[in-house]
Amino acid sequence: MTDSGKLVYSGFTLSIHGVLEGMEIDSIRDFLDEHRRSIYDSGRLTLDFSDSPGIDTVPAVVLYGFCRELSRAGLRVSRQGASDVIEKLFETLDEFDSSAEPLKERFSVRDHFEHLGSDVYEFGQTLSELVHFMGETLSAFGELVLHPLKVRWSMVLYYMEESGYKAIPIVAILPWLLGVVLGYQAGYQMRVFGAETFMPALIGYSITWEIGPMLAAVLVAGRSGSAYAAEIGTMQVRDEVDALRVMGFDIFSYLVTPKMIALFCVMPFLVLLANLTGIFGGLLAGSLFLDLTPGTFISELGKALIPLDIVWGMLKSIVYAVIIANVGSYMGMKVRGGAAAVGKATTSAVVLSIFMVIIADALLSLLFIHIRPGLSM
Amino acid sequence: MVQETDVRPVLKVEELEGGWDDLLVLKDVNLEVRKGEVLAIVGKSGCGKSTLMHYLLGLLKPWNGKVLFNGSDIWSSPESLQNARKKWGVTFQSGALLGNLTLLENVMLPLKEYTDLSEHDMRIVAYSKLDTVGLSDFADSNPLEVSGGMQKRAGLARAMALDPELLFFDEPSAGLDPVTSGTLDDLIITINSTLGTTVVIVTHELASIFAISDRVVMLDPDEHGIIAVGTAAELRDSSSDDRVRLFFGRNLAAKKRSDRKCR
Repeated sequence: MTDSGKLVYSGFTLSIHGVLEGMEIDSIRDFLDEHRRSIYDSGRLTLDFSDSPGIDTVPAVVLYGFCRELSRAGLRVSRQGASDVIEKLFETLDEFDSSAEPLKERFSVRDHFEHLGSDVYEFGQTLSELVHFMGETLSAFGELVLHPLKVRWSMVLYYMEESGYKAIPIVAILPWLLGVVLGYQAGYQMRVFGAETFMPALIGYSITWEIGPMLAAVLVAGRSGSAYAAEIGTMQVRDEVDALRVMGFDIFSYLVTPKMIALFCVMPFLVLLANLTGIFGGLLAGSLFLDLTPGTFISELGKALIPLDIVWGMLKSIVYAVIIANVGSYMGMKVRGGAAAVGKATTSAVVLSIFMVIIADALLSLLFIHIRPGLSM
Repeated sequence: MVQETDVRPVLKVEELEGGWDDLLVLKDVNLEVRKGEVLAIVGKSGCGKSTLMHYLLGLLKPWNGKVLFNGSDIWSSPESLQNARKKWGVTFQSGALLGNLTLLENVMLPLKEYTDLSEHDMRIVAYSKLDTVGLSDFADSNPLEVSGGMQKRAGLARAMALDPELLFFDEPSAGLDPVTSGTLDDLIITINSTLGTTVVIVTHELASIFAISDRVVMLDPDEHGIIAVGTAAELRDSSSDDRVRLFFGRNLAAKKRSDRKCR
């Protein structure tokens, strides 16, 4: 006969004394391991609960698992003296033993194609809903243009501060760094051919046509598009959007247009800022690494750029503003469920905004080629 | 239910003082939760019920005073709080289930954290707990697919996963219809009487208070603490405090109204 406090093994009987508690499973396992050999040799086991008023579920499942192992090996296993509560618990464990088998996940090639197909279909669905959403927003905007007093100007100012003013440092620094890198690398290559005097033109074109507007749009999408999605998504989860609806508010003019108007107002200036610091970066690279004086840089730049180059970038940014405000708000509105859904909406808002900004940029570039003097072939 | 001979306090609050930021909510609170009893913490909205619950659960650190679990201060070391939490189960007002997991996986969470059972054994335990609250058929459902009452029951199954010594309920009847909240009350009584689990319940549902509590502690916002302790019937019938009678006398007002209608 051996014992470990609450467990005693003697003859064919394992007696349980007192209440086995959840945190004792290690000692229970050790005890069972110690006696496994002799229990197997004896060919049968009786669990005696006469001295046990109750048992926690976790140790019960350990005992249950051990008994299952024994009976699979052909031993006779029985219980005696168990109170109704204990008996009921073991019956429940028995009942769920088979349903507890985890479902086997099967993956076939066919499944992958099905997933791919449904993903593509859902993406198309999202795009068509988004176009519908933008239509609603623009019609609400049209209404507000006719009645400017109905615009929630306090919210517009709030979003202008959040999405515009507070974005100034990052929108100033990144294009500047990119301008330095671009100026240095391009100038270094051009010097091989003695063409470094064209570096200011290259910087001017690439920054004002593409890098300035695009970088500003990506930064605003990351900072503000995600914030709009999270804000509206959380409101959606907490039924606030429905509350506004039943109070008779037009969701589009109340929640979406203030964000869009704010971006209309700030985006062109953020682009202008990005252009200026980007070009300044190029100027710095020229004078530090390439013997291009600031005077030469500016006069070369002046020969290359026309006012349309700057204005076009600012105009493009208004299109980007519409995209970012709408995609962010739309993703927020689509949220159903809880915290995880808000997280997903935020991610999708950023990814889809940037994707659509690049598509829009490509289309606008085609147009630009025909508008700008000196470009069309 | 509670046995007269065994009144050892499982949880004890001594001279507790605390609140949120600079706002004092509780002052000089002394409280005992006795082994095997169902203790209801009641009071009108804003009286500090939830704040007291935060202190009992170790979610807030007292400004002054102590919270003792089985005689040891839960704030004496990080381990003592962690060890105490292994023996507690908490069900939150909304159920607080994780939305990206099924009901079964939610119940398995504490088992994964605190035991080294095999996946299969964890599933058996989780199934049996869901069975206790009558939800084994919904094991693979997502929390959002089941009703509010079912979410709370699943939350209860999760709280019971490790067979806690002490079960906390925050407003179990909030937002439930009388039948569903009655079912939940029955479940609490069953767990308390068959498993001997001590229960602390924060509520303001009079029906629940009378149906399940052994003792009632009443808080008041003006006193920043406890104004009455006793059985629900004692507080209703023989309290000398107007505020207590007013709280428990809500059914008297309803009686007057029905009397008037009869006339």
